[in-house]
Parts: sequence; structure tokens; C-alpha cells
Amino acid sequence: ESGDPQKTALLLRKAWTLYSVTPLYRFCRGRLRDYARLLSAFIAAEKQKGLAVEVGVELDIKVALSSLPELQGSEQDEPAVLVQLSSRSRASPKNSEDKIVWSGCFCCVYGDDLSENMPEDFTCLPLFLANGAESYTSVVGSWFQKTFDCTFRRLAISPFSLSWMVAMWAGCKVDKAASAVELVFSVPHLPQPLDISYAIHPEDAKALWDTIQKTPGEITQEEVDVFMDCLYSHFHRHFKIRLSATKLVKVSTAIASAHCDGIVKMLHSQYLSGVLMLLTELAISQIQ
Amino acid sequence: MDETVAEYIRRTVLKIPRDEIKMMLQKWGFLSEAQLQTLNFHQIKDNISQEVVQLCEENAADIKQAAVLDIIYNHTYQNKRMWSVYQMRKTGEELEYFDLTDFKKKFKRRLQSALKNVTITFREYEDDAIWIRVAWGTPYRQPNQYKPSYVVYHSQTPYVFISASVLKSNLPLLCQALIVASNYHDIREMELRSHSLNSLKDIVFKRYSQNFHTYCPKPPQARAVEPGSVDLRIINENRSEKERIQRLNQEAFGDGPQPILQFAQYKLETMFKSSPEMDVLDKKEPFRCLVKFSSPHLLESLKSLAPAGMADAPLSPLLTCIPQKARNYFRIREKKGFFPESFVSP
Repeated sequence: ESGDPQKTALLLRKAWTLYSVTPLYRFCRGRLRDYARLLSAFIAAEKQKGLAVEVGVELDIKVALSSLPELQGSEQDEPAVLVQLSSRSRASPKNSEDKIVWSGCFCCVYGDDLSENMPEDFTCLPLFLANGAESYTSVVGSWFQKTFDCTFRRLAISPFSLSWMVAMWAGCKVDKAASAVELVFSVPHLPQPLDISYAIHPEDAKALWDTIQKTPGEITQEEVDVFMDCLYSHFHRHFKIRLSATKLVKVSTAIASAHCDGIVKMLHSQYLSGVLMLLTELAISQIQ
Repeated sequence: MDETVAEYIRRTVLKIPRDEIKMMLQKWGFLSEAQLQTLNFHQIKDNISQEVVQLCEENAADIKQAAVLDIIYNHTYQNKRMWSVYQMRKTGEELEYFDLTDFKKKFKRRLQSALKNVTITFREYEDDAIWIRVAWGTPYRQPNQYKPSYVVYHSQTPYVFISASVLKSNLPLLCQALIVASNYHDIREMELRSHSLNSLKDIVFKRYSQNFHTYCPKPPQARAVEPGSVDLRIINENRSEKERIQRLNQEAFGDGPQPILQFAQYKLETMFKSSPEMDVLDKKEPFRCLVKFSSPHLLESLKSLAPAGMADAPLSPLLTCIPQKARNYFRIREKKGFFPESFVSP
């Protein structure tokens, strides 16, 4: 389940912006080197056109594409594709190391729902994670869209999905020094906006979830609802405020954190696959 | 003029919005009116500050005068800083006559005997507020003028408002100097913090409109109707409920404007209780939570929750007691005894 720690560690502890990607047409895994060269030329051309990525510093952008076979769920899944943009300032000495300025990862973890009836020419990698400057994301995205006739769309995460995530992750076994299970609510439409952070000790959150979950390894909608209702009613008992009437915008646990704008951070290598599986599902719903 | 002083003055002027520079220099009074006339306030700030430094050079400014300009800036933009409230305590009840000169002398002496290098500046304001600026050094290093602490003391009250610099290690010494200088024997930090200094004063000096226990609510009156806008075909659903909420809100929050706080934090150590049909957690240990409310104007925000349908009226006393209890940090534990539903805050 957990692959080469080196490679998958690339995904941990970074803030990733999420996109859904429609299937790629005539994407050939053997041609990764070619694609890297083409993308590199495209980026250089865009820079000439005046797309200022970094002001004042002359940067040569190097592109690398690689496969991450560790990041897949089932046999049907396409192995993930990692895109890395690195730079070396023209001012710095020849033997200095390249610095990675932008990373993107196409992946599919248990995406059978989408890949099942897909014609041969299409490659299913519905989830895209981007880390780095928005301008690079835009350039790379444009190239992929033009080259493989696909569409990128920002993946927002609904309060409904966020509740699933927090319930699932709160139940995971973690070490003593784990961070709190935190839910952040926003009430924007008041005369003065209000934000509420509700953080629960991870042991107590897990204890609550353990009494709710009936079958280990399985989670039902009803169980998630009960978990959230318990948290809401404990809060209401103290403050008389109905959290269910506010907007859940962010959840955060020792496993991962997720924001409704479609930004996640994965913190625990053991559960990486599980988180990606959930996100793949969200991406597929958005595509279909 | 020392170049560190010149640089400090230059940076202080740069912080000031261009339209306010002339007024602030006038308040400072270090440059003559004639000198101020020579300044061109319509150029970019970089140039204005350079010219100011040149004039200060002519007048041979030292760090003491530069520090006064800094106090004036921070007094004008006091809400940029985060203020904490401290309360001093005396043994006896005697009201002593407050001697400002004596206070300043004792304060300086206490700090200077501990740390050779400190810059201490005082400035008094009309509302009886004494502003103190302290820049901290060590026996071997000159004071860091860029990270001073500010103290605001109203001598007729036991309260001190402190905006400490990042160097928290100097806080105990500062507190000591304050009690020695003001003839108190003890000082403690209150659990009350805000950007709005005036609101903190309102809260501890009880200058906001409180609701008293004997408050008699006025009977719900129809709101004054704008002439010509009455359409008798439009009725307000749930009017009595809306009015009930309005009345309860008024009782809880009072009539006047609320003091401005940016957050309230609650450490909950109460038991988790669910309704009996939910077959869930029933531990004997507390369900540990940390709840933080944030808003540009927290109390106004909380006041609007019930009318917006997001909260019950009356709102929980944990929230409405903030101004009365003069705190925005709380630790809530379960109350033992007959009423397991009620809470205590220590």
C-alpha cells in the first residue's frame, strides 16, 4: 500500500491545490521525455510573449516528467505522473543545484468508476494536484489541455465532503503527539463576519468516533451524521449557537487537512493512499 | 547627529501616511514652524523623510527626541498594536496622592539599575493617560529602538495596558518597575486582549452601557415606521418571535455600542453528553476542546447571531459575560453538584 517512501514523501506536508482533469487523449507513457521537452519549449515561448513569472530574476526552467507507480490503488489505475519545474538562476554558479519551483501530480487511486468503460485511446488521471505559483499551473495546464484535449477544473470541497473527511480521519490511529481535530466554520453574511475554530483533543475525538462506528473499515453516511451531530450539540450546549447553520470551510487532523477552496495538505504517509482515494472520488464526481 | 538616530527617524516618518506627516511633526514640536514650511509634502515619502532627517540634523536630534516622535505615532495608531491588560493591587485601601514626578523617577531608577541600557520616554495626555515607551538593551548592548514596549497607565485606576515587544523576557522587569513606581504591591495579567485600546478601557473602566440585574425591559414597541412606506398588505411573520429575540439581545448586550474585541477563546474541559437515544460516548472524563471565535468586531458579530437565526436567544452567558467579566480567555470546567448542565469559569 505504501510505496517507495522517497517518492511519496514528495506529496507530504505541502499545500496542494486540487483540480479535476478529464481523460487525456493519446497520452503515451513511453514519451515522457518528449513531453518534457515540448512543455519546456512551450514555457520558454510563453515567457518570451511576456508572461512574467518572476520579476527581475532570469530563470531557465527545466521540465521533468516521471511516473510514480507507487501512487495507484487498483490494478486498473493508471500510475501517477509527476511534473516538476526546476530552475537555476543564470546568476548562480554552474554546479549549484536546481531548485524545484513548481510540482504537479496527475493521479488516479481507485478510479474504477471512471476508467471502467473508457475507450483505449484515453488515459484516466482524474485528480491533479498543483504546488507552486499559479502562473506556472496556468501554463502547464494550458499545454496539457492543448496537447491531450482535456479540461482542468478547480475542485471545490463541499461541507458535506469535509464532514466525511474529518470523521474518517478523526478515527485513524495516531501517535501521542498528534495534533487536534479542528473544524473551522465561517459566518460571512453577518454585519461583522465571524469565524469559529472548534478544536478537539485527538484522543477524545477518536474515542467518540469509535463508539459510533459499527464496522471497522466501513463508514456509513449515518455514522458521519451522528458524529457531526454530536460535535454540534456539544457546542450548542455551551454556546447556544447552531453550527449546522454556518459554513464548514476547513478541517484539520494529524492525517491531513482540507479547505473548501480545494486545498489539501497530507501529513501522514501511512494514510496517503486513503486520502488520495477520497480525492479521486471527488474529482470523478466533478467530471461526470 | 548619530546615524542610528537618523535612520530611526527616517523609518518612523516612512511609517506615517503622507497626509498625516505634517500634523504629526507639528505635534512633535521638535522642528520649528519655519523649518516645517520648507518641507515639500507633495513628493514621495522617501524624499520627505530624507528632508526631515536633514532638518533634524540641523537641530542635532538625539534618541530621546526620536523616541517622542515614535510615541506620538503609536498613540495615533494605537489600534495597530495588540494590548494586554494588567491589574495592580494594593494592601491598604488608602487613596494616595499620585505624584507624577515621583512615579517617573522611581520607574526609571528601577529599570536603569537592572539594565544599564534602556531608553525610557514618558508622555502625558489629557485623559489622564500616561504613555511610557521603553526600548530594551542589555548591559553590553545598546537598546533596540525597533522593538520597544508601550505602557499606558491611568493613575487614578489600578489598570495598566501593555503592548509588549516580542522580547517577552523583559515583561517581569517592566511589571516590577510599575508597581514600585506606583506604590502597589502586586500585579497580575488579566485574561483580556484586544487591538482596540479604547475598548479595553471601556471594559475595565466600565464605560460601556451595562445591563443591570434590575433592568426593566420596555414592553415591545412597534419600530418607528418611515412615513409613506407602510403597506398594510405586508405583515411580518414571526413578529413576536423577532421582538422576543430583540428584547433578549438588548438585555444581554445592553443598548450602547459594544467594546471592540477581535477574539474570544474557550478551553472546554466539560463532559460530553448526548441525548439518551444516541448510543454514544459516555466517558467519565472531560471532552477536551479549544474553541476560538474571531471577528473584526466580535461582540457585534455575536449579537447578530440570534436575529440571523444561527443561535438561540438568549445567547449563552459564556459569550455575553465577556465585558462584565473583563476577559476574553476562559477555562470552562464542569460544575459539581446538583446542576450538571451549568458551568463555572475560574
